[in-house]
Amino acid sequence: MDAGEIMENVQSQSTQSRYDKGHLAKRSLIKLSGAMKSNEPNPMADELASLMTQVANDRCKTSFAKLFSHFGPKINSFGVQRLSQQGLAMDLVQETMTRVWTKAHLYNAEKAAVSTWVFTIMRNQCFDMLRKVQHNREDSFGDDIWPLFESDEAESNDNDFLLSASLLQHVEELPPLQRQVVQGIYMQELTQQELADKLNIPIGTVKSRLRLGLEKLKSFMEKHYD
Amino acid sequence: MINYHPDQHLLSLHAKGDLPLSMSIAISAHAELCPHCQQQLDQMTIALSEQQFESAVKTQSVDTNDNHQLDALLEQLLNSTLDTLEIEQASTIDTIDTIEDNSVSIKGQHYPLPKVFRKQINASWQGIGKVSRLRLDTGEPQARASLLHIAANGEIPEHTHKGAELTLLLAGEFSDCYNTYKPGDFMLLDKEHQHSPKTLEGCLCYTIVDAPLYFTKGFSKLLNPIGDLLY
Repeated sequence: MDAGEIMENVQSQSTQSRYDKGHLAKRSLIKLSGAMKSNEPNPMADELASLMTQVANDRCKTSFAKLFSHFGPKINSFGVQRLSQQGLAMDLVQETMTRVWTKAHLYNAEKAAVSTWVFTIMRNQCFDMLRKVQHNREDSFGDDIWPLFESDEAESNDNDFLLSASLLQHVEELPPLQRQVVQGIYMQELTQQELADKLNIPIGTVKSRLRLGLEKLKSFMEKHYD
Repeated sequence: MINYHPDQHLLSLHAKGDLPLSMSIAISAHAELCPHCQQQLDQMTIALSEQQFESAVKTQSVDTNDNHQLDALLEQLLNSTLDTLEIEQASTIDTIDTIEDNSVSIKGQHYPLPKVFRKQINASWQGIGKVSRLRLDTGEPQARASLLHIAANGEIPEHTHKGAELTLLLAGEFSDCYNTYKPGDFMLLDKEHQHSPKTLEGCLCYTIVDAPLYFTKGFSKLLNPIGDLLY
């Protein structure tokens, strides 16, 4: 597979989806808050999304190579602008594209276009690399600073996405000790005994915190969904 | 209702990843509390990603050397690296080990923190009287980032700033000569402003100052070194 050919191919498609000024304005009307995705037809975006699906489901290296040929040079040019140090731009390409490979199954087409998802990975990696260059810090805070727009297991198992999202939000609002128990039992699927051992508290305490937490959730939900 | 927000310029710099850690934390925490700014950041991120990845314009200045390196990198990934990589598990941000870390307790009050603080709270509280400070280690020599707690009926002596001062109110309320503030309010004051925040019910803030503060009023001049400690 010739990388040059693939690039030509992807770029000729992109000329069809020229940027127009009404584009962004329309996007602000997207109803589902948090969804970073356009509803307009966009051939290149569809092509990229189908390549992502093949990487996620079949670990398809040919599709990965096509994604690399599309994104690689552009990530490189972003890196050249941002990371003045020689060689770092290519590191950014490598760091970003290996994450595309290892996180492909977390990509959620409902939440963001492939371009946007890859952009967030690249930006977050670049932030961490800049910290290293500027302050000699080996930390990785990028993924904590910007939300990732990825699937997590708790919601991918649930068909009723909106209800589950709002329930999850209410779980976040529980007092920390109750929240910890509710999350341990229902999201990490620990047994009550496992959780008691893990938290080093009596199993009776697990039971009572769980009961309090569930009662609170029930009243949240009744209040809002009657 | 949040009344004070970062301006468009700050938001767009944040979407690009162009701000230092201390300010990135502030914007991220504000956006977690403010759906309006989060939505604007999302829009900006979409626009930036399209500009970067979907624009029809050929990537400028990709020299042949870069192309060779990219080809070599792809080959290496395909032939060996990819097969050795583990598939990443779903984000662990909300797992049990980190829940307890992402909150602070001070003077009998317990405060959950925005997600961005997850790995940032590594010091202990210091302070005198009603005012306590927990310094964040951002590694930035010019800016000092802290959590600041003021207990009920507490205040900070009147001061001006040598540089800029950012205050993001995370919980509780406080007032100064300008206004009363609510959780999520994001206030960036320059060195022209003097103020002396007071709180009735107590509050928790995230603050950044980019130079030492001058306390400007009578007796509190004596406390100047302590004023430095507080922020």
